[in-house]
Amino acid sequence: MIRFKTHRLREKTQGLYNFSDYKKASGKAFYGIAITILLLFVFIAITPILYLFFSSLKTLEELNSIHYTFFPKEWDFAKIGVVWTKVNFGQYFLNTFILVIGCVVCSIFFNALLAYGTAIVKPVGYKVIHGLVMLGYMIPTTLAILPLFLQIAALKDADGMPILMNTYWPLWLAYGANAYYYMLFRNHFEKLPVSLMEASSIDGAGNMETFLRVVLPLSRSIIGIVAIFSMTASYSDFLLPYLILQDDSKQTLMVKIFNLSSATTLDPSEFLLVLSLSIIPQIIIFILFQKQIMGSNANSGMKE
Amino acid sequence: MYVSPGHPKAKKKRNWKAILKKNAFGWAIMIPTLLLFGFFVWVPLGKNIVMSFFSDANFSTFVGTRNYELLFQMDVFLASLGNTFKYILWSLLIGYLVPILLGFLLSEVVHAKGFFRVALYLPCMISGIAVVFLFRNLYGDEPYSILNVILGLFGLPAQSWAGNVDLIIPLIVLAMTWRGAGSTALIYLSSFQQIDNAMYEAARIDGAGAWERFWRITIPSIKSTMLTLLILQIISVFQVFYEPMIIGNWGGPVNSSMSLMLLSYKLAFADFNYPVSAACCVVLALIILTFTLIYQGVVKLLDRVSGGAKA
Repeated sequence: MIRFKTHRLREKTQGLYNFSDYKKASGKAFYGIAITILLLFVFIAITPILYLFFSSLKTLEELNSIHYTFFPKEWDFAKIGVVWTKVNFGQYFLNTFILVIGCVVCSIFFNALLAYGTAIVKPVGYKVIHGLVMLGYMIPTTLAILPLFLQIAALKDADGMPILMNTYWPLWLAYGANAYYYMLFRNHFEKLPVSLMEASSIDGAGNMETFLRVVLPLSRSIIGIVAIFSMTASYSDFLLPYLILQDDSKQTLMVKIFNLSSATTLDPSEFLLVLSLSIIPQIIIFILFQKQIMGSNANSGMKE
Repeated sequence: MYVSPGHPKAKKKRNWKAILKKNAFGWAIMIPTLLLFGFFVWVPLGKNIVMSFFSDANFSTFVGTRNYELLFQMDVFLASLGNTFKYILWSLLIGYLVPILLGFLLSEVVHAKGFFRVALYLPCMISGIAVVFLFRNLYGDEPYSILNVILGLFGLPAQSWAGNVDLIIPLIVLAMTWRGAGSTALIYLSSFQQIDNAMYEAARIDGAGAWERFWRITIPSIKSTMLTLLILQIISVFQVFYEPMIIGNWGGPVNSSMSLMLLSYKLAFADFNYPVSAACCVVLALIILTFTLIYQGVVKLLDRVSGGAKA
């Protein structure tokens, strides 16, 4: 059994139960139940992920055997290499990486500029623009995926070849029109002290100079948050990439997974391995940026 | 804004050149993004509405409300409309209370805080597509599908879980909750942490027990968060899409998990019935818009109530 360091309970002053409650038996019972429930939910949260990892490392015979065991009896690590070359995994990882980089750049560049315009520069008519952007925020953009797709497919060059199909451009640029990222930037810019901007303009700095010298250095944290958000979102993105990237050599991991699910290229255990490999980068991103991800998540509940 | 008489801004004469410069700069930095919003959001949304009143995607003939009439005569549309309410009901039963409980426990626990948060949040990081394929496996009828493995431990025969008309929606909601609960729990956690500790202290001095403190202080303090997240959850349930597509195998069995979002996609990209799909999207957009307006009204009301309490 794990022995708790009980002095932490004696020092607890905040919340529904504090140190005085934990002196009583009922308080101790509550704490025991609380920890048990949390451990139970941790078990529920983690088990499917472990199930996926362990199942994907079983051999096909073991996976299909009626004597189920949670851990593989025989760890089939050689399968990773086999599947990697069979699926040409490196190609799809690279494609996804290219997609993610472009999406992150567009998310930051375009949404920050628009937010800077409506929050700080405020040219004539900025309120109308803000209202229009927020209107789009209320309706999920997936609802207009059909007209958008037809629009992208209709853009053709002189020879009648579609310009944007099977390219990453529409997928990258779509992230430049994201009302949520726009709002994150705008909320941040609005909180910046006006006096700073005024001081900069009195010093004779132009609008562009103020943006680059004063505003950007103060916006590192929000840029980081939007970068992480757009990184995880574009890595998982499926619908638009699926419609646009019809050429197999251009497809991202999620699109490829979807196509593999209905093909007979892989046996079930190999497909599970592909799923496992696809979530590893996301877990790494989470481990690296857990503070930022969980911190900004808590603030995102109260949008507007 | 107060401007002192000596300040350069106090000069009555407007600096037209500076104003012009400001506007030119403002629009110059906004226009590229506005073009993107136009191409990716506004024009498609507008086209979608217009298309729902026309015969095809090229807007050849105006047909009035015929597409809507066709849509409302479709059994699958009526089924998915009904399913939507089943989704909402089940998501409230399964998914609504879990994050509140987790958020509360996270705010009370002092041991292994970081571990609990990270472990509970981890499922939120996995992409929707990977999650639905993972759960399709868990619910499947293979020897390694976990629900049947559990049944087997008790000597019970294997079931076709995802093939059961009555179970498919609860199972889908379970998968959605598994992925989403950690993130919602953190929102509740921050709301629990904002409760003024002095209120608990005062209640203790008055001799209130933990149970009483919980119902008199803890729950009333997070009421507004509970209400806003309730509406946000309903809005997000309307958009359920990947789950019925993969876990329910295109809204099955016999359309029992078909959602409006999946139906509009299927009408467009499997049946190539563009105008009716557009009509379906408009109906869904109107429903979502209604709930969003309710949400904003509630947020405003809560602001006013809490503002009045402070004053």
